[in-house]
Amino acid sequence: MTFSTMLSTMAAGMLRTCGIFFLTLLGSLPLGMVVCLLRKSKHALVRTIVKIYISIMRGTPLMLQLLVWYFGPYYLFRLPIGGWRFPAIIFGFVVNYAAYFAEIYRSGIDSMPVGQYEAAEVLGYTKGRTFFRIILPQVVKRILPAVTNEVITLVKDTSLAFTLAYSEVFSLAKQISASQTSFVPFVIAGVFYYIANYAVAFAMERIEKALNYYR
Amino acid sequence: MILEMKNIQKSFGGVRVLRDISVCVDQGEVVSIIGPSGSGKSTLLRCATFLETVDSGEIRYEGEPAVTTDEYGNAHYAAPDALRALKRYYGLVFQQFNLFPHYTVLKNVTDAPLTVQKRDKAEVHGTAMELLRKMGLEDKASSYPYQLSGGQQQRVAIARALAMRPEILFFDEPTSALDPELTGEVLKVIKQLAVEKMTMVIVTHEMPFARAVSDRVVFMDGGVIVEQGDPEAVFGAPQQARTKQFLQTYQR
Amino acid sequence: MKKIVCIALAALLLLALCACGKDKGPVTYGFLDETLGVESYAIGFRKGDDALMQTVSGAVKALVKDGTYAAIGEKYPDIKDYLCLKAEDISDADLPAKGSGDPSYTFIHGFDLDYPPYSYLQDDGSVGGFDVELCQAVCDYLGWKYQPLPFNWDAKDAELNAGSCDCIWSGFTKEGREDDYCWGITYSNNTQGILVASNSGIKTLADLKGKTVGVQTATSAMDMLEGDRKDLADTFKELKVYETYTIAFADLKAGAIDAIAIDMTAGSFLIANEAAAASK
Repeated sequence: MTFSTMLSTMAAGMLRTCGIFFLTLLGSLPLGMVVCLLRKSKHALVRTIVKIYISIMRGTPLMLQLLVWYFGPYYLFRLPIGGWRFPAIIFGFVVNYAAYFAEIYRSGIDSMPVGQYEAAEVLGYTKGRTFFRIILPQVVKRILPAVTNEVITLVKDTSLAFTLAYSEVFSLAKQISASQTSFVPFVIAGVFYYIANYAVAFAMERIEKALNYYR
Repeated sequence: MILEMKNIQKSFGGVRVLRDISVCVDQGEVVSIIGPSGSGKSTLLRCATFLETVDSGEIRYEGEPAVTTDEYGNAHYAAPDALRALKRYYGLVFQQFNLFPHYTVLKNVTDAPLTVQKRDKAEVHGTAMELLRKMGLEDKASSYPYQLSGGQQQRVAIARALAMRPEILFFDEPTSALDPELTGEVLKVIKQLAVEKMTMVIVTHEMPFARAVSDRVVFMDGGVIVEQGDPEAVFGAPQQARTKQFLQTYQR
Repeated sequence: MKKIVCIALAALLLLALCACGKDKGPVTYGFLDETLGVESYAIGFRKGDDALMQTVSGAVKALVKDGTYAAIGEKYPDIKDYLCLKAEDISDADLPAKGSGDPSYTFIHGFDLDYPPYSYLQDDGSVGGFDVELCQAVCDYLGWKYQPLPFNWDAKDAELNAGSCDCIWSGFTKEGREDDYCWGITYSNNTQGILVASNSGIKTLADLKGKTVGVQTATSAMDMLEGDRKDLADTFKELKVYETYTIAFADLKAGAIDAIAIDMTAGSFLIANEAAAASK
């Protein structure tokens, strides 16, 4: 296999990796907020259910979760699962990362001084307006470093998609490595991951800078 | 009568913080509440502004009931909408300022009048600039809170409260979080408001200030009002032993 | 004095370098004459899928008969010697007719893309290998559509049972799994062997006593060393389990392990690749 074939094969795999990456963020960043708000719900039952959900998502391997999401419908309900593969991968990633993001959001919201809520309340802001105008913008600034960490982890976690036969860049590296008896594909994969993470870090740094206008 | 609080009872985990307190504040009156820490004076203010709920008692703003108590002694709050509507009567200045750090000074002052009261933009902007001028902060309109000193931040907080056009303004130890050299600028502003006949209730540890600015001084201790009256009477010739004792610790 | 020390040191260095060069030489790799045992590679179907198994096995036989099987074997020299089906042994009686399959049917081939030379990525980046080509030929023969599913080997049973694929077919050992699948035709008799460096001094299985031996996880070689040949594995200093043979082979080259237990076709592939790289 020529180096350029190797590179183009793996670049195609990297595109598929990016597909999981962006779809996961698109789903889990907002879903995490919903989970976080449910986690802080007044109803003890809702709180408990969400707590169990978060604890399972964070307490079991993502690889296992992916297997359960994809094969579960067949093994539990004998449902046909043709065509469910890619949705299952995205679903698995989204609900897993939403749990992590929910906890990050929660830590951010809990770290807000109570005075901000009280000031808004005395000024007559409704609960929703207080959250979206006063609390959330400040929370975003506070949690940005933690979110960056999680997003970088996600870049690397995408390799778990191969559990469900999704040929992303790392599984391709393994396969090319096997056929060529060479470690070069792993080096290429490493470079791809590094570039992706560099881009993530760069983008997040820009956002952090943009939010630096206040302290 | 702007504010009427009657027979207020409040406990925190079995500890009675307010024991049957009644306070009324008239139009244009400046009332200072003094007393040792833990005497319940801040809690009284927080109950008046609905940041805490009372266990029993009555609260009315301009005769409109916010809290009533039934024959069994249980407090009943007005419906949330009615309660929110009552917020137009009062403003509160916090010990820790509690400005919104992500808003400029101007936006801190204008945001609630615009979004909560839905007032006209030009009018609100004009009012806000006028208030900032009064606070000596017109050049800070586009600054962010972190760029201001504590004294300046507290003056912005006062402007923010005033921009809502309250009938009565509460101050919860407005200078306690400030360095001593910065308290003067805040007290000066409050004095100016007193001259303009702004109705105010001030919880404070600044005794000379309370004596100078108030129409009435309320001394609280152990969740009850021990003594109240004309500042000269309370400070000059306190009737109660506890009042004397408290004032002595301050006049050393 | 300084000069003399310098010259002496330089000479010493040169000598050391020469010694190194001499020692190194071209290291080659090969198999021990003794093997671990012979196993059959067959096609695994879902239990109960007997009709499908019959059809596919019949088509394989037909391909043996018409020479396609041997022709594909020619492309994979590492496998050629282990192919066990002979045209002369097959009777014409029970063979399915060419194009007798339902043309709208898609046959999904489940395999491990990590397993050269049976199923692996080709030099042009496409999916290939002996098993892939043979399966494609089966589909062509029957008139089916062919669809590859390069799955994760650890999830192979889940994929098969859930119906994501119709068979497991990638150097799949029958021994030890007789009751777990509906087995199709055995098309290759593969031997598990021991791969060592030519200069290792290891000549027999007995020489492996106290040595470190590498193996890829979830392979027949590993199954054997943990099952029938556990007696042998017990004499090792350590049986080191790797995720892939590529990494195990790198460790062997680096001297971190002394031998690799491996399916001889896969092992030959490693040796051939190494020889090609060395001659470059």
